[in-house]
Amino acid sequence: MTHIGFILGQIGKTLVSDVAPKLEGDYAGGHAAMAGLMAIMAGEAWDAAADRLVTEIQGIRRLLDRGGVDCSDVSKAPSVRLSDLEPERDALLLKLIALQFRLETDDSPGAQSLNADIWAHYITTAQARMPSPPVFDDPETG
Amino acid sequence: MLDSELALRFTRYADAHIDGARNSEVTHLSRIHGGASRQTYSLDLKYDTPSGPVERGLIVRRDPPDSLIDTERRIEFAAIRSAHGQAGLPVPEALFLETDPEFLGAPFFVMGRIETGTPVNPFRLEDVEPHRQRLGTQFFRHLGAIAALPVEGSAIAQELDLPAQESCWSKELAYWANEIRANAVSPQPVAEAAIRYLEQHPPPPAQRLSIVHGDYRSGNFLHDGNGEITAILDWEMAHIGDPYEDLAWATDPLWCANDSERAAGFLPWPDAIEIWQEASGCAFDPAAFEWWSIFAHVKALGIWVTSAKAFAGGSNNDPILAWSGWFTHAAHELMLAARLGAKHGAGT
Repeated sequence: MTHIGFILGQIGKTLVSDVAPKLEGDYAGGHAAMAGLMAIMAGEAWDAAADRLVTEIQGIRRLLDRGGVDCSDVSKAPSVRLSDLEPERDALLLKLIALQFRLETDDSPGAQSLNADIWAHYITTAQARMPSPPVFDDPETG
Repeated sequence: MLDSELALRFTRYADAHIDGARNSEVTHLSRIHGGASRQTYSLDLKYDTPSGPVERGLIVRRDPPDSLIDTERRIEFAAIRSAHGQAGLPVPEALFLETDPEFLGAPFFVMGRIETGTPVNPFRLEDVEPHRQRLGTQFFRHLGAIAALPVEGSAIAQELDLPAQESCWSKELAYWANEIRANAVSPQPVAEAAIRYLEQHPPPPAQRLSIVHGDYRSGNFLHDGNGEITAILDWEMAHIGDPYEDLAWATDPLWCANDSERAAGFLPWPDAIEIWQEASGCAFDPAAFEWWSIFAHVKALGIWVTSAKAFAGGSNNDPILAWSGWFTHAAHELMLAARLGAKHGAGT
């Protein structure tokens, strides 16, 4: 069975709907409910995680290129494993922070336009990272 | 430490520290979920005194191996003492502060337990209907009353240096910027840009110095189900500063499922502001509120990155820390990006 997102989602629903209510009043009940919610979130995020990082990296590289930032010292991830993609993304983000700091002291239209696009990138990536709001079912209805 | 051992140890503490108490016995002890900055236990204590037997409900807040917020328990204890019995505020009685880890394995303090009330789920504020308006009125009245508490001579003022009114903002911003930079496990470009923005666009000086609760919001008070707030809890981030900090934090969109129509998800904004002004004695200043509401997002990110680090590092495996480092971090980062992006022409 390879539908990991589905498995996580079902485990989460079981924890939230079946396990946690039976532990109500016990400290472990809160743990079970919270763990269940996050299993549901993990199931939702699992499928898109690599694509999200690849897209984010491409976006940052484009912005840095427009800003004339040398990125030759940041190696491309050798695979699309998250553990490979995240170090590349983080190294590029440090350069993006430095670029934005520089742009904020430059009143030229080009700098302001690039800064606006950096903010647009932040909004897009923050939206992509945002999990769905948790659903707290009524205990009676499950 | 097992709950049974904790209970036994607490009876020894009670016999030694409660005036006239002997033969103390903990008849019930349970840990309360949430409030990951301290391990919180509810217990029933029986003991004999020269004037007869006593039964009492207590709350013990013990330091954990790691927590959401690195705060001094003595400040939290002093803040509760400063507000208890004042201005009609439903605040527990702070009884004992113990810094010696010998008794319960870690420092702790003891409060009287408020017997009535349940917390509000910030994601399900509709559950408080049909008492939303009544609760909201009290919510903002109490918030204003905290802002109006006398600082001079208060217990918390004995523990802290008073900031200058014009530097409340910079002190708090520096603290939370440092928390973010010290604890983030990955770069935080949105938080960094927000910190720069706040530094470059300071708010007006505080209208007054106030006791700031620090985490006043839905989820951190109890209500009786009939529209009465019975307890204001979670004072672990209390300090002295600008009362706008509490107003902005209390009305942060995260605590009311992004209900933009009602302040804190309870009341129409004009009504909430009017109640707060009357109770606090402060005049509402949109510029101050704007700054402190952006600051609230930054402060939140400081808490969330700290909790994520604690969970990832294995020093605290409470799932609430993972939740904070994930969902709530993402929510506040998105809020900040959207608000500041709009100011910088993103999407135009």
